[in-house]
Amino acid sequence: MNGIEQALIGGVDGGTALLLPALGELIGQRAGIVNLGAEGCMLAGALSAFAVAVETGSPWAGVATGLIAGAVCGLLHAALTIWCRADQLASGLVVWFLALGVTSVYGTGYISAAISPLPPIAVPGLAGIPWLGLILFNHNGLVYLGYALVAAIAFVLYRTRLGLLIRATGERPEVVAATGGPLRLVQLGAVVTGAGLAGVGGAQLSVGYVGNWFNDMTNGYGFVAVAVVLFAGWRPARVLAGAYLFGIALAAASVLQAHGVAVNQYLLDALPYLVTLVALVLLTGRGSAQAPEALRRALTRSG
Amino acid sequence: MTLSPTSAEIRAAPGRRRYLAHRADWRRVGLVAGAYLGFLVVFGILVAARGIDPLSVYATMVRSTLLSEHALAQTLLRAVPIALAALAVAVPARAGLINVGGEGQLIVGAVAATGAGLLIGGRLPGPVSWLLLALAGAGAGATWGALAGALRTGFGANEAVTTLLLNFVANDIMLYLIYQPWKDPNGSGQPQSRPLADGAALPKLLGSQLNLGVIVAALVALGVWLLLTRSGWGFALRVVGGNVEAARRAGLPVNWLLLGSMLVGGALAGLGGALNFAGLEGQLRPGITVTFGYIAFLASFLGRHQPGRVVAAALLFSAIALSGNGLQLADGLDGNIVDILLGLIVLVPLILTRARPGGGP
Amino acid sequence: MENRRTLRTALRWSLAALTMIAVIAGCGGASSTSGSSAGSMTVGFVMVGSRSDSGYNQAVYDASQTVAKDMSNVRVITSDNVPENNSVNQAMQSMVDQGAKVIFATSYGYFSQALKFAQEHPDIVVVHQGGFQKGAFPPNFGTYWGEAYEPVSLGGMAAGGVTKTNKLGFVYAFPISQTIANIDAFQLGAQKVNPAAQTYLVNTSNWCDPLKQKEAASALLGQGIDVISQHQDCQATVIQAAKAAGKYVVGYHYDARALDPAGWLTGSAWDWRGVYENIITSVADKKFTGGPYNANWVGTFAHNDNPLTLASFGSSVPADLKAEITAEQGALKQPGASVFTGPISCQDGTVLVAAGQTMSYDQVNSIRCLVKGVVGTLPKS
Repeated sequence: MNGIEQALIGGVDGGTALLLPALGELIGQRAGIVNLGAEGCMLAGALSAFAVAVETGSPWAGVATGLIAGAVCGLLHAALTIWCRADQLASGLVVWFLALGVTSVYGTGYISAAISPLPPIAVPGLAGIPWLGLILFNHNGLVYLGYALVAAIAFVLYRTRLGLLIRATGERPEVVAATGGPLRLVQLGAVVTGAGLAGVGGAQLSVGYVGNWFNDMTNGYGFVAVAVVLFAGWRPARVLAGAYLFGIALAAASVLQAHGVAVNQYLLDALPYLVTLVALVLLTGRGSAQAPEALRRALTRSG
Repeated sequence: MTLSPTSAEIRAAPGRRRYLAHRADWRRVGLVAGAYLGFLVVFGILVAARGIDPLSVYATMVRSTLLSEHALAQTLLRAVPIALAALAVAVPARAGLINVGGEGQLIVGAVAATGAGLLIGGRLPGPVSWLLLALAGAGAGATWGALAGALRTGFGANEAVTTLLLNFVANDIMLYLIYQPWKDPNGSGQPQSRPLADGAALPKLLGSQLNLGVIVAALVALGVWLLLTRSGWGFALRVVGGNVEAARRAGLPVNWLLLGSMLVGGALAGLGGALNFAGLEGQLRPGITVTFGYIAFLASFLGRHQPGRVVAAALLFSAIALSGNGLQLADGLDGNIVDILLGLIVLVPLILTRARPGGGP
Repeated sequence: MENRRTLRTALRWSLAALTMIAVIAGCGGASSTSGSSAGSMTVGFVMVGSRSDSGYNQAVYDASQTVAKDMSNVRVITSDNVPENNSVNQAMQSMVDQGAKVIFATSYGYFSQALKFAQEHPDIVVVHQGGFQKGAFPPNFGTYWGEAYEPVSLGGMAAGGVTKTNKLGFVYAFPISQTIANIDAFQLGAQKVNPAAQTYLVNTSNWCDPLKQKEAASALLGQGIDVISQHQDCQATVIQAAKAAGKYVVGYHYDARALDPAGWLTGSAWDWRGVYENIITSVADKKFTGGPYNANWVGTFAHNDNPLTLASFGSSVPADLKAEITAEQGALKQPGASVFTGPISCQDGTVLVAAGQTMSYDQVNSIRCLVKGVVGTLPKS
């Protein structure tokens, strides 16, 4: 295994912890709701998944719990933003603070525990492909879930009535409402599903990849997931690319050093944010037109 | 309030809004007070579930933040960066802009003040040093805020998003400086800048723990209040925030106003970072802001972006954050529990925003 | 506009309610916490991380609880997750309000705040854990630490003796002096038993970021290392990564053998109990000022008071290697002995310690080069 392969393999593993929350955020934002609480929902997912995995010995039971915990976290955000029509950013931050507090308080007892992370499964046939097989098809189940979700979400968004409804909700909510569409139900579903995925992303971190829990272990990756969605212009395939690029940058920092190459960690850390900023500016003429209209309104007080 | 109707407004039928407005005030008051009490009870149950007497917890919180001179001083000191960063949210909010970048603006303010402090050393008289540090911080914060403002007015990039991203960039810049060029040569290689010269640190007030920063912050807050409520600029901001198109038709320089509001906001937070550095910290370290910027965003939201209330909310949050110490020591609770209380308190206005779409002022 | 008025009224109401709660609570609970009875002493411990981190902070917490058990007239109060900024000042203030007479500020980054606090509170003894500070201290202040690199070099011996690939990995957070000394000592220990051993470095720029630690461990394992050590605040992730790969681990801060009994070789573990109890006793006997702890105190093997001890051995360390390590520990207890005894050269071949010379503690803590056999570079400074 050479360094490039190592960086790519690590990038896929770590990138999946960003990909899942980013896909979730994509669904919510497509329906017109931004969730800055993704960071908190990731924490909720990471802790509950880890706790259940430790107590039951079943990592997959943990992942399922992570999904539920994330969804519950999303339910709060949905209730506040959809029914109370609360400021989306403030609500997201509140969700984050609540989750941060709850997971720190109740997670203390799990800090010293360790479990075996989800084992890699070589995909029969595909894992034998030279080079690519090693990089893409020898990972844990959640990585494959990520692949499948990118395809599934792209299909649902662009090829189904449900997808049309979600996009319409994000673009022209008044039209959806006027034609008697289930506006709130769609938004609720999108936010809860999205936060559930953030929870699974947290589970990938704690149960899927490292096998530990630590207070605030997401270290801002939930915010990165939000940035990835913007970078990707709300397109599932580009979300995949953005999340993996970030994951690879993270892994490359370690791999380069292990090969005796000095890296400027701070520049490397800042790079994804700078790239996203530049992408936002460059894409604006074309790109902001891609932003769901309701989302733009949510992010613009003066409407 | 707005020209183009938002989805939320369409859903809020006009009749309903009028109905709510005509309801007797006391109902609404009861609702608000009830909600707060409800959440205090929720928090109490949470605490009781951990085997601790909730009443004693509330007693500890009050005692450890308000009832002793030291505690009160610490609450005020911690409120300085939070209040200024919260005003940094409130000013652009007047013009309809969302500044989520308080954290980054606090950081660049502290960084610039550190840079100025290292440059000056102890060479200049105290008052000159204080002024230069404060100006450096405010200038850096203004630059950081104006950057997002310019991306908005020049390229249409959403400021809520760009300010959020710039927070992370600011943090990485700070880490780079602390770990490399500015590292304290006497600090065993630990991540901290060289300490600020004693003469350049803000002086204490008459035997108390308070420092000059508290007075400066109070005066600046008063200035912001005057600026927003009594000046033509403040009025123009409100016009822009109320209706951009109407403001444009009225001949207001909308883009300059938007940019200016971000610049002023950034300067306020940058000043907060500088005062916190020069008054309390004296050394730049990685955790110098510890989410103050995000707490400030919630404080401004809780205070409905009205300067007086924003400062009150900042004081409240400062006290809550501070009470974590007392809770750990006196009641054996996990100090992080205060994050929950902070969240619960902001839940109240979030739940009660029903009748005001957008959540703006 | 109506909303604004209602809200203002609401705010006034809630303020009134809060004041009432304040008054009731303030009166009701005032007597409940002044628990310090006559003759007893309250001692406070401030920690930077979680008290159950299986690492640095848990070592502090465990020792503080032992103190509480050992010393019946001492009341111990603790505060964890206190960041290295003015928050520590506030935490110490809260402790004084609780009646604390001695405060242990147990993170290196607390130094300047702790010193300032001591100057402002002449009646309180403040001691700082982290050491290596020059200058005269006020009569109520001191700093203490241990010769960390001594046991680390013993861990290096275990790593060098067990490795089959001759490649060792070391994950660290930041290139601080103490970490550089530890990395060098680890490599020096390893090559003592295995001249072919090399130590590969990866830094994470974070004292505890499990994701980055996992990436670092994976990169090292991919490089072919089969023993991994680290200098981070939390160590469970690195241990877990080694365990999953069937490789070995040398711990730091805390004896975490239970996490991986087969892969755990040994490590360094803090045992602060003796230092804490000595300091508290010296304060109780009014002998602190002018005593050994009213200074820059460093525990060493030579004085048999090094708070950093060799952790327990795991099952994979062969008996003869254990004997060799124990013998070396004995040798290091001789006055003047040090792992930093020449000839030692840096990576680029320049002489770090000439043959026959031995570095002092202060010299070791100002090393800016990696010794020969370490693969990797330090971020420039």
